[in-house]
Amino acid sequence: MSHPLPNRGPSNAKVITFIVILSFICALILSTLASALAKPKEIAQEIDRSKQMMIAAKILSHEGYFLIQDKDGKYGPAKVENGKLVPGNVNDIPSNEQVLEIYKKRLKAFLVDDKGKIFSFKEAGINEEEYVAQNKKNGYYKLPYRLLYEILPNETDEKNAKPIGYVIPVNGYGLWDAIYGYIAIEPNTNTVIGISWYDQKETPGLGANIAEASWQNLFPGKHIFQASPNGKTDFKTSGLGILVVKGKVSEVLGDIPKAKSAVDGMAGATLTGNGVTDAYREVLSAYRPFFISLNAENKSDNQKES
Amino acid sequence: MAQKNPPALSYLTDQLWNSNQILVAVLGICSALGVTNRLSVAVTMGLSVSFVTAFSSLLVSALRKITPDSVRMITQLAIISVFVTIIDQFLQAYFYSLSKVLSVFVGLIITNCVVMGRTEGMAKNVTPLPAFMDGLGAGLGYMLVICIVGAIRELFGFGQLFNYQVVPLSWYASPENPNGYENFALMVSPPAAFFIIGGMIWLFNLINKK
Repeated sequence: MSHPLPNRGPSNAKVITFIVILSFICALILSTLASALAKPKEIAQEIDRSKQMMIAAKILSHEGYFLIQDKDGKYGPAKVENGKLVPGNVNDIPSNEQVLEIYKKRLKAFLVDDKGKIFSFKEAGINEEEYVAQNKKNGYYKLPYRLLYEILPNETDEKNAKPIGYVIPVNGYGLWDAIYGYIAIEPNTNTVIGISWYDQKETPGLGANIAEASWQNLFPGKHIFQASPNGKTDFKTSGLGILVVKGKVSEVLGDIPKAKSAVDGMAGATLTGNGVTDAYREVLSAYRPFFISLNAENKSDNQKES
Repeated sequence: MAQKNPPALSYLTDQLWNSNQILVAVLGICSALGVTNRLSVAVTMGLSVSFVTAFSSLLVSALRKITPDSVRMITQLAIISVFVTIIDQFLQAYFYSLSKVLSVFVGLIITNCVVMGRTEGMAKNVTPLPAFMDGLGAGLGYMLVICIVGAIRELFGFGQLFNYQVVPLSWYASPENPNGYENFALMVSPPAAFFIIGGMIWLFNLINKK
């Protein structure tokens, strides 16, 4: 028998066997890898989220060292000692374990309903991890129970220490895609401690500056309630949010009371700025009942700051 | 004779300059535009691509005798995807902030023409060691170019290198000094890489003319 045609290569059965074996080996490698790296990946994400939240709460600096307030309220570098922050210097970059340790000590998740009442996850019967993971994409502010973090003081000797601030997760839309961040406010529910944006896909160098320290540092000390021209703030009716103006606040708004609720815009990133403004207005408005009830409490406690 | 059996190292050096994948073959342009606005990102991307091209070339070459010709492309793609996924998962686990910046570009290494070009153009025809060297060289040549582009873009676009301020902050325009230095905004957007890579190809041809 002679073959008139040249050899056409291996038979179909051989080809299929080859591909099946190859796919099987590839799948085996990838699934082993995925399960081996699942834990480190989860930790990496958790650390990133914790860091961003602590940056907003001014527990961690943008450069990566911990921050501690001195008696005058000024922030200085700190390091971890016995699970507490003590004054240190800027070279004390904490390990990932320390970051998580301090995060667990200083930030505690809570829920508020639309009446402004605070619940723990246990009281509301909600699994914290599931709730946080499931609603991350669409944000927490539209839910019946809204997410909120209490910032606990560094020195927590008593069990029920009064929080020194609150962190609220913020989300909205920038120019290109959804943006996610945090805003931390003082117990007077008005003064901003700090902010951060941790997940954004804005234009590098323009809108992406919302993730830069230099721009985020404009926020501390701003007021989330926009005061009326006579300087009065009514927690029930005043506009909520922080305005990202086009240009400089000092040029656009001058020194009217509302200028306390505005920050300089980024050149060339007006639309990202608008997105940030909208995000703060929408999210913070959802927490207004909580602000009102907390202020009523503050007043009755007679601890209200001027 | 020299063509028949050149030393393995020459495969690597050849890829670095004489047949550089971006400057000569003009491959891998998409990611070269997308991930070169900061030097640190360009370095990570360059290393990832080098890893993928080197090892997928090695494996494709090792399997070249048993790979049926009719499914060789699928085989190459499967091998490349494995290495890309390894890199992607590794970055997500240990370099989270970088992986956030690179995002989709790591996954897209699979479709980076540099990788498949080398496996199809070289690795399936030679023994594993030259194939590995060739793949590594292609990746490093790619890295060389995107790092130069990245350095230029970061320096003029942000005034920084490796996120470290190079242009003194005191030079910048401020309310008191409105005529000061300003970052070149075009540099941070992808089209700038077009001009830089175009200019580099021109320079390259000028040097190699003789």
